[in-house]
Amino acid sequence: MGFAMEGVGLTHANGTVALAGIALAARQGECIALIGPSGAGKTSLLSVLATALTPDQGSAQVLGTELRGLSAPVLRALRARIGTVHQAPPLPGRQRVVTSVLAGRLGQWPAWKALASLAYPMDIPGARAALAQVDLDDKLFARCDQLSGGQLQRAGIARVLYQQAALVLADEPVSALDPNLAQATVRLLIDDAAQRGATLVASLHAVDLALNCFARIVGIKGGRIAFDLPTDQVRQEHLQALYASEGQTPPTPQPQAPGPAAPATPAPLTLCR
Amino acid sequence: MPLKSVERDPAALRRLVHTVLALCVLWPLFQAAQVRPAALFEAGNLSVIGNFLAAFLPPETGSEFLAYLGQATLQTLAIATAGMALACLLAIPLAYLASAAGRDRPTLNPIVRGLLTILRGIPELVWALVFVRVFGLGPAAGVLALGLTYGGMLAKVYAEILESTDPAPARALAHSGARRPLAILYGLIPQASKELASYTVYRWECAIRASVVMGFVGAGGLGQLMDQSMKMLNGGEAASILLTFLALVFAADALSGWLRRSLDAPVAARPSPWGWRSAGSAAVLLIAVLASFGLLDMDLLALFSAESASSMGQFIASFFPPDISADWLRSVAIGIWETLAISVVGTLLAAVLGLVFALAPLKPVNRFVLNLLRSVPELVWATITALAVGLGPFAGALALALHTTGVLGRLYGEALDNTPPAPAGALRLSGAARGLAFFYGTLPGAAPQLIAYTLYRWEMNIRMAAILGFVGAGGLGQLLYFELSLFHYAQACTVIIAMLLLSMGVDQTSAWLRRRMR
Repeated sequence: MGFAMEGVGLTHANGTVALAGIALAARQGECIALIGPSGAGKTSLLSVLATALTPDQGSAQVLGTELRGLSAPVLRALRARIGTVHQAPPLPGRQRVVTSVLAGRLGQWPAWKALASLAYPMDIPGARAALAQVDLDDKLFARCDQLSGGQLQRAGIARVLYQQAALVLADEPVSALDPNLAQATVRLLIDDAAQRGATLVASLHAVDLALNCFARIVGIKGGRIAFDLPTDQVRQEHLQALYASEGQTPPTPQPQAPGPAAPATPAPLTLCR
Repeated sequence: MPLKSVERDPAALRRLVHTVLALCVLWPLFQAAQVRPAALFEAGNLSVIGNFLAAFLPPETGSEFLAYLGQATLQTLAIATAGMALACLLAIPLAYLASAAGRDRPTLNPIVRGLLTILRGIPELVWALVFVRVFGLGPAAGVLALGLTYGGMLAKVYAEILESTDPAPARALAHSGARRPLAILYGLIPQASKELASYTVYRWECAIRASVVMGFVGAGGLGQLMDQSMKMLNGGEAASILLTFLALVFAADALSGWLRRSLDAPVAARPSPWGWRSAGSAAVLLIAVLASFGLLDMDLLALFSAESASSMGQFIASFFPPDISADWLRSVAIGIWETLAISVVGTLLAAVLGLVFALAPLKPVNRFVLNLLRSVPELVWATITALAVGLGPFAGALALALHTTGVLGRLYGEALDNTPPAPAGALRLSGAARGLAFFYGTLPGAAPQLIAYTLYRWEMNIRMAAILGFVGAGGLGQLLYFELSLFHYAQACTVIIAMLLLSMGVDQTSAWLRRRMR
C-alpha cells in the first residue's frame, strides 16, 4: 500500500523533461510535504501519483496497483481511492456547493445514485459534515460562483475529505488562504489522513508550513529529488541549495553571502509540532 | 449548532414546481403537434418513403435536365446575391437611424425600430408569396422578399454591433466637433468593420438557402425545380437537385469561411488601403451583383413607375381591414397554437439530438451528418417528412428538428469544446465514469451557452414553423397559403398579423427565459 516509484521519468510533449530518475516510496499512512522552486516538477510528480500522467520511464505502484497497462474498470476503481486537492479548485461556478462536494464520491456511487443526486442531493448530512470541517457549512446550498477564492479552495478540500480516499494528493492546497487559515487547513488534512490511516502527499509553497506540520520533507529541483529527509534533519543549507537560482550552481551554500537572485531565505527552522 | 434530524434541500420545492409547470405547458404542446413516433414505422408510410428514396438512385443525369439544373443553380445564386445587395442598401441607412451608437443620449428611434421588427417578423417566404401575387411568378418576387427581410435583419444586427463597440473614440470625436456620421465612420467602424463584414457574409450564405426555399412558392431557382420534382414524386430528379444544392451550400460555406478568415489579414504598411486582394474582392463583388441583376432580367425601375405604385397600393389596400370576425379569429388562434407546438417540439427534439451528436465520438462522420442536416432547409425536409409521416404538424416538427439538429449539434460541439475541461478532468481522476463527469463537471459550465443557443434557435424556428404549412405541415402557414390561393386577403392579413405577434411574443419569452436561466 502507499506508493512506490522507481526510476520514474517524464518528458512532456514539447520536449521539456519534467521528471527524471525519481525514486520515492511511502508507507500507508505516511504524510509527506513536497517543496521546491516553481517549475521543479512537484505538480508533475503528483500527476503521476494521481494517474493523470503516465511516466515514460521507470515503474510506479500506487495503493498496491502497478500503474502500467490497467484496464479501464480497474483504473476507475483505483482512482476512486485517490483524492486530489487541485491548486485551482475545479468546481463549476453554476454548481451548488453541496453537489460539488458530493461529486467526490462519483467513483464510488452506483450510476443511478449519482444521476438521482443531480435532481436531489443524496447525502446532505455527509456534505454538511465535510464542509463543517473546513468551516464552510453555512455555504452548503450556495452556488460555487458566490464563494470567494479562499472559500472555493476550502470547498475543493471538503470534496476530497468527503471522498475518504486512501491516498490524498494536494497540489498547493492552501495557496489562496491567509497564513493562519492555511496552517489550520493543512493540519486538518494531516489529522484526517492520520485518523483514517490514509497517505498524504502535499506540495507546498510555504516552506515554514511544510517544516511545521509534516514529519517528512522531500525537496525537488529540476525534476529530480534533491533531498528526502525527516524534518528534524533538514538543514538551512538543504533549503538554500534547493531554492538557489540556476546562476548559483554549483551549490556550495555560503549563508554569509546569499546571491542577489536568491529568493527570500526560507524561515528559520522552527521545531516541528 | 442545533442539528435538524432530517435536512431538506431548500431548492427542492422550487425545482419540483418548475418541473411540473414545464410539463403542464409541454404536454398539451406535444398533443397539439400530434407527435406520433409510431407513424414513422407504419407499413404504408414506410413503403411510400421507401419507394421514394429508392427512386433517388440513380440521380437523374439526362443532358436536358442538367441544363435546367445549371440554369436554376445560377438563378438561385443570382437571387441570393441580388437580394443581399438590396438588403445592404436598405440596411445601412436604417441601421444608422435605428442605432443608439454615436448619440449623446441613447434615444432609440421607435419608428425605425418598429419598422425593422415588421420587416424581420414576417418571414421572407410570406413576403415572397405576397410579391408573387403582384409581380407574377419569377425571381423578382424572391429578390424583393430577400431584400426586405434580410434588410431588416441586417439593420438590426448592424445597429446592435455598433452599439456594443467601445463608444469612447466616437464620443471623443463628437466632443471635438465631428458630426454623428463622421464620428461613427472614424470612431466606430474601424473597430466594428470585421464583425459587420463577417455577419454580412454569413447572411449571404443564409440567403442562398433562403432563395432555394422561396422557389417553392414560385420565385424561381432550384426550389421551384425541386417543388415540381417532388410533386411528381420523381426521386431521381429530386436526388440530383438535392446533391446540387448540397454542393452549393458546402461551397458557400467554404467561401464564406475563407472570406471571414481573410478578414484577419494584417493591414499593409502603405498609404493606400487598396491592395490586390481588396481591390480584387471589390471588383468580384461588383461584377457579381451586376451579373446577378443582369441574369435575372428584372426591370427594377418599372417598380418605381406610377402604374406599378398604384397597383401595389391597391394590392396592399385589399389586405385592409383585416378580418377580425370571431369565427376567423378562432381558426387563427388554433393555427397559432399549432405553430407554437411545432416550433417547441421541433426545437426540443433537435436539442436532444444535437446534444447526442455533440457528445458522440467519430467526429468526422458527425460533422458530415450535421452539415448534411443543416444544409437542407426546413421546407425541403418538410416535403420529405410529409411523405414519411403524412401531412400535418408532426411532419413540420420533424422537419424543423432535422434541420435544427444540424445547427445545434455544431453549436453545442463548439460550446462544449470551449468549456473549461478542469472540472470534468478532476472528476475523472477521482474515478467518475465519463458520463457522470460530463453531467457534474462539464454541463454546469456549458449550460448557459447551450440554453442560449437553443432559445435563439427557437426564436428562428417560430418564424419557420409559421411557414412550414405552405407544404402542408399545418399551423398558420397552411391557413395563409389557403387564403392567399383563394384571394381572401383580409383573412390573410389577420394571419400575417398573428405571425408577427407570435414571433414577437416568442422573442420576449425567450429573452425572459435567458435572463432567468443565467
